[in-house]
Amino acid sequence: MSLALPADLERAAAPDSGRFGILRQLLFGTPGSTIATGALALLAIAVTIGPLAWGKNPTTLNILNALQAPSWAHPMGTDENGRDVFARFLAGGWLSLIAALLVAVSAALVGGLLGVIAGFVGGIVDAVIGRFMDAILAFPALLLAVAVTVGLGAGVWTAALGILLGAIPWYALLLRSDTLRVRNRAYIEAARALGARRALLVRRHIIPHVMPTLLVQFAAVFGYAVLMLAGLGFIGLGAQPPTAEWGSMIAEGLQYTLTGQWWIGVFPGLGVFIAACATAVLADQMAKVLDPRRTEG
Amino acid sequence: MRFFISRLVGGVASIFGASVLGFIFLRLLPANPTRLLLGPLASPAAVRALRLQMGLNRSVPVQYWDYISQFFRGSWGYSYIYGRTVRELIASRLPASLELELCAFAIALFFTLLLALLTTYRPHRFLSGLTRGLALFGQSTPVFWLALVSLVVFVSWLKILPGPNGQLSAGITPPPVTTGMVLIDSLLAGDLTAFWNACEHLVLPAVVLSLPSFGFLVRLLRANLLDVAHEPFLLVARGRGLSRWKTYSRHALPNAALPTLTASGLLLAQMLAGSVFVETIFNWPGVGALVVNSVSNEDYSVVQAFVLLSACAYVVLNVLIDLLSGVLDPRVRRRAA
Repeated sequence: MSLALPADLERAAAPDSGRFGILRQLLFGTPGSTIATGALALLAIAVTIGPLAWGKNPTTLNILNALQAPSWAHPMGTDENGRDVFARFLAGGWLSLIAALLVAVSAALVGGLLGVIAGFVGGIVDAVIGRFMDAILAFPALLLAVAVTVGLGAGVWTAALGILLGAIPWYALLLRSDTLRVRNRAYIEAARALGARRALLVRRHIIPHVMPTLLVQFAAVFGYAVLMLAGLGFIGLGAQPPTAEWGSMIAEGLQYTLTGQWWIGVFPGLGVFIAACATAVLADQMAKVLDPRRTEG
Repeated sequence: MRFFISRLVGGVASIFGASVLGFIFLRLLPANPTRLLLGPLASPAAVRALRLQMGLNRSVPVQYWDYISQFFRGSWGYSYIYGRTVRELIASRLPASLELELCAFAIALFFTLLLALLTTYRPHRFLSGLTRGLALFGQSTPVFWLALVSLVVFVSWLKILPGPNGQLSAGITPPPVTTGMVLIDSLLAGDLTAFWNACEHLVLPAVVLSLPSFGFLVRLLRANLLDVAHEPFLLVARGRGLSRWKTYSRHALPNAALPTLTASGLLLAQMLAGSVFVETIFNWPGVGALVVNSVSNEDYSVVQAFVLLSACAYVVLNVLIDLLSGVLDPRVRRRAA
């Protein structure tokens, strides 16, 4: 038995406070979130340095080597053109994760800005932004992205644009209602009475307040973007051959599932699954830590 | 009354907005919208003729009016791959899609009710964990990957289900078409062999398609049930001598079901998106597989019609759900008015 020091007691009472405490709780607060953080980190490291370390070219054809089962030389086997599936997995993962990250960041910027403006300014600006968001929300998200890619030409970046467009209202509507909630609070009125300009009000008082919502949404949109990008790639509207991308790799593997070469489609799908699942767990954990009112049993 | 009118007007406004967006992306922004409709093989003369016919040299509002009035009159263009009008094509493919989607919905709903009730009626650690895990799995697994893995496991390894060859095996005579849904048609014809075969073909795609909806629904219903569980009126009901189950089924469940109903418009979006993938992988002769096939053949008139149609269906359903929850719950009406 050891004696509990006052400092330890204090820490036990308020286990995590301060910026790093919250971050630690976000990433490692529960066993589930620890696993999710680990899996995402592993995936990120693999797709970042993996292509260099592995050294095989994801687009080099080698017909003599086609449809090989997983082995030490090809941990994920080879596809119908003899390309190394592991090299394609890494290259495709890089593209998918970077594109999803860009979608999540730019949707947060555009949607967040629109939401805060709509909530803070109100009136006609709010109405116009609201109608625009309604028009986007009238489409099932995947089909809006399909429309954009069909109209502008298939490719990863048009697909990303379509997904981005669909994700903007999620941020905008949530941040608008958050902004509305604080806009008329006394401390904002006090700051205004002291002569604070609008820009300062937004920067000092509104943005910190809406940050938790923004972060939770950010995680959710990232996972959703990974799923949607793969979906569009699967349909044939995302990355075009011979570029490696998880969704299109699954589509290429489709015709070989029943002839026994399952590895072509199953491994890239596993990548999508891990990325989306880990992000979903982290988003849940964020919602719990940053907004204790929302609890999920 | 004001509530109903405002909801209807809102719905019309949404469809208008969606049609403008569709017009911008499918007609205004493409460098050559006629190519999109006629396909890569059309002759320059045909492209020029359609250009004139579509009035691409006229002003944007006139073009928009043409575009939208044609759509609502039901002339959705012509598929050059199938050699039929898009309307015929979609109508002929719709029953198979509906069959699959209704079954998937039924499965999702059944397991949602079962697991949400079981895990909230009495706290059960293992079942709660299982439900949460399943919900997470369903919501974040790409359906197309799940479909692929299920094929590998059940068809290729275990060999207990037939391969992905549509609604019936090759050797089975299809029943006479009355509804277009093989399950019902074979029952109507009294053909049990075909019925059983159709069931075997349906189970895998339907379960795969139901998983995302299940994940979404069960999380929502559980959260709502747990929210309601702390309400004082439940304590009052118990205090008045109602049994635990009666309190639960008469008071807790209806109150938790309403918010769940409101969000179920999203289910349609999930089903539409999911069916595109699942039908393709299982060679299901529905609209979703048609759309993917059209994309790979650059037969875009089918895709364009499908996109706008699903936007309309989505808006109409959401308006209906809004109206229904207004009918069921007076508070919704009052809040809106």
